[in-house]
Amino acid sequence: MPVFKTPFNGYSVKFSPFYESRLAVATSQNFGILGNGRLHVIDLSPAAPGPTPITELVSFDTADGVYDVAWSESHDSLLVAAIADGSVKLYDLALPPTSNPLRSLHEHTREVSSADYNPTRRDSFLTASWDDTVKLWTVDRPASVRTFKEHAYCVYSAVWNPRHADVFASASGDCTARVWDVREPGSTMIIPAHEFEILSCDWNKYDDCVIATASVDKSIKVWDVRSIRAPISVLNGHGYAVRKVKFSPHRQSLMMSCSYDMSVCLWDYMVEDALVGRYDHHSEFAVGIDMSVLVEGLLASTGWDELVYVWQHGTDPRAP
Amino acid sequence: MEKAINRQKVLLDHLRPSSSTDDSSLSASACAAGDSAAYARTNVFGDDVVIVAAYRTPLCKAKRGGFKDTHADDLLAPVLKAVIEKTNLNPKEVGDIVVGTVLAPGSQRASECRMAAFYAGFPETVPVRTVNRQCSSGLQAVADVAASIRAGFYDIGIGAGLESMTVNPMAWEGDVNPKVKIFEQAQNCLLPMGVTSENVAHRFGVSRQEQDQAAVDSHRKAAAATAAGRFKDEIIPVATKIVDPKSGDEKPVTISVDDGIRNTTLSDLAKLKPVFKKDGTTTAGNSSQVSDGAGAVLLMKRSVADQKGIPILGVFRSFVAVGVDPAIMGVGPAAAIPVAVKAAGLELDDIDLFEINEAFASQFVYCRNKLGLDPEKINVNGGAMAIGHPLGATGARCVATLLHEMKRRGKDCRYGVISMCIGTGMGAAAVFERGDRTDELCNARKVESLNFLSKDAR
Repeated sequence: MPVFKTPFNGYSVKFSPFYESRLAVATSQNFGILGNGRLHVIDLSPAAPGPTPITELVSFDTADGVYDVAWSESHDSLLVAAIADGSVKLYDLALPPTSNPLRSLHEHTREVSSADYNPTRRDSFLTASWDDTVKLWTVDRPASVRTFKEHAYCVYSAVWNPRHADVFASASGDCTARVWDVREPGSTMIIPAHEFEILSCDWNKYDDCVIATASVDKSIKVWDVRSIRAPISVLNGHGYAVRKVKFSPHRQSLMMSCSYDMSVCLWDYMVEDALVGRYDHHSEFAVGIDMSVLVEGLLASTGWDELVYVWQHGTDPRAP
Repeated sequence: MEKAINRQKVLLDHLRPSSSTDDSSLSASACAAGDSAAYARTNVFGDDVVIVAAYRTPLCKAKRGGFKDTHADDLLAPVLKAVIEKTNLNPKEVGDIVVGTVLAPGSQRASECRMAAFYAGFPETVPVRTVNRQCSSGLQAVADVAASIRAGFYDIGIGAGLESMTVNPMAWEGDVNPKVKIFEQAQNCLLPMGVTSENVAHRFGVSRQEQDQAAVDSHRKAAAATAAGRFKDEIIPVATKIVDPKSGDEKPVTISVDDGIRNTTLSDLAKLKPVFKKDGTTTAGNSSQVSDGAGAVLLMKRSVADQKGIPILGVFRSFVAVGVDPAIMGVGPAAAIPVAVKAAGLELDDIDLFEINEAFASQFVYCRNKLGLDPEKINVNGGAMAIGHPLGATGARCVATLLHEMKRRGKDCRYGVISMCIGTGMGAAAVFERGDRTDELCNARKVESLNFLSKDAR
């Protein structure tokens, strides 16, 4: 599969839930520490003419780094971008560039680290920020619906439960993961999941009680929220902090992770020898991963080496 | 900056799970990018004025050097030709040629420049003019072209500089208006440049030793640059002739290196006598050399360069000329540089490389110290004390030297400044940005049209 070279350092990559060959890539200049950001939308249609099968459909410049991006689950052209200056920007690909960003929501006081679109109700999305809060937004409102402020340090990710439209989980540098129900005033569960900062979490797509957390302690832990005294499984293998973790949309026990050790790993948390595969194609921190919902086994990753890889599980990401 | 430091800290904490385990071989290094936001932001626009080529002739000692028997127009023609040939540009597309020139009689020099354009292969449809802002004429020519492109007069232009100090020595013709006696500043305009140098040295306490040291450094750096072949990229060899003064025989030669650079030491220079003042400090050794030479810079709109696929050498960011006291005209760069840098939206710290003309070591050292500049960033390949100062050509020469050095230094060297003092009390400065915007590197095709626009939008 082709490799996409981004001008800035990659931060996040997401498959479109509507078109199997379309991806959004969030990038930040100077490793996201200082400078601009850019959001790319690329198309991988093998049928496209020309020497390269990659087409950049559009790119949007931002005044600060783009740390994450999420596709809308309701409109094929809508994107939510988490910007390092604290803003959340909405882009509509169907509108001319002059009309974009469609909306710029300034509420977070620090870097916005993640964005996640509600997959069941499809009208709202969550953003997590280094200002210790998670905010709930709907597309039609100019201000956030709710702010969830309980974490004591940066919140690195907030993800919706795939079954329950009101339930989500958050991962924070305060070493806890929390489960929330937007109908409740506070968090419904606090999981002191790791001894060190938790950088990412995700829900199992087939079992709505199973959640995974990834931490600076180099491990991934899988939890059943009905009994959080001990994790179901602990996945060791990364050499540095695990930056992101993701459950497969196709197989219940399959997971993907990326790490500061520059590798991307696949895991089966139900078997004893959990590490299914390790990909060492990145030459800098691997910080963004995604698994295609539409094509089973199609994976994507990006990192600080300014490259986006898309490949079929089991093949070499670098193979042309 | 605080924000960047905080971000770096958050990310660093991800790599240092605990302070107790000190097995980590990782360490953080300070973020070297400038503090000002402008440094970090990219601002690439199609209507930027960019430099796609900058070349110069070698600079040779007037009356004694390689160009002592070369007509001035024969110096200009090779560089005009080079900027066209090296970029494969059709010469008829050039909107104007502006030549900075100082000492030669105005109209005669304008004619010579027009003739030089014909020698270089330009069609009659391409106009030529000259500009004279004394020592900064070459830079002024480049700035004039940049301004005209920005104004929309044309899209492609050449800024050049030319001086043959062999043919046209510094001199005053005719008598002086007696009225100058009433106006002190006007009177000071008549001071020989060397006297203004003595004034700077005296008023700001620049010692003979400091000045001689600056000259030694200049020669050393220029000699190193020549030995390493660093001037090869910018110098266009000139085929000309040399007449033997005794026998009168003509000999064809090709001049391809600067001939003023010497291997000199502090003790050599200390022996020289001051020229302008009995107990002075300005000597022939710590002043700029009297030289012949030319330079040319091809500028165009970025969109035009992109369309033609010509690699971009540098971006013209800002230019200023400011006035100072004529009696100490050498302080010009100290006044001009901060203004030009501010006009470019930058701070002095953001500048990675300086070309400050060394008219005299006194004023060069004063400007360097006054602005608190890092000597490692200034005239890294030597300056006018070693290479020479053909007045009108110096500005264009500096553009070639600066941009080729920035290209060599790579991504880290983003902004460069050229500045010089100007006789009768002025200073000029310009800010350039390196050209190859690595930020734009991308291997995907751009879609021709947004074919996924909604039906309403179409």
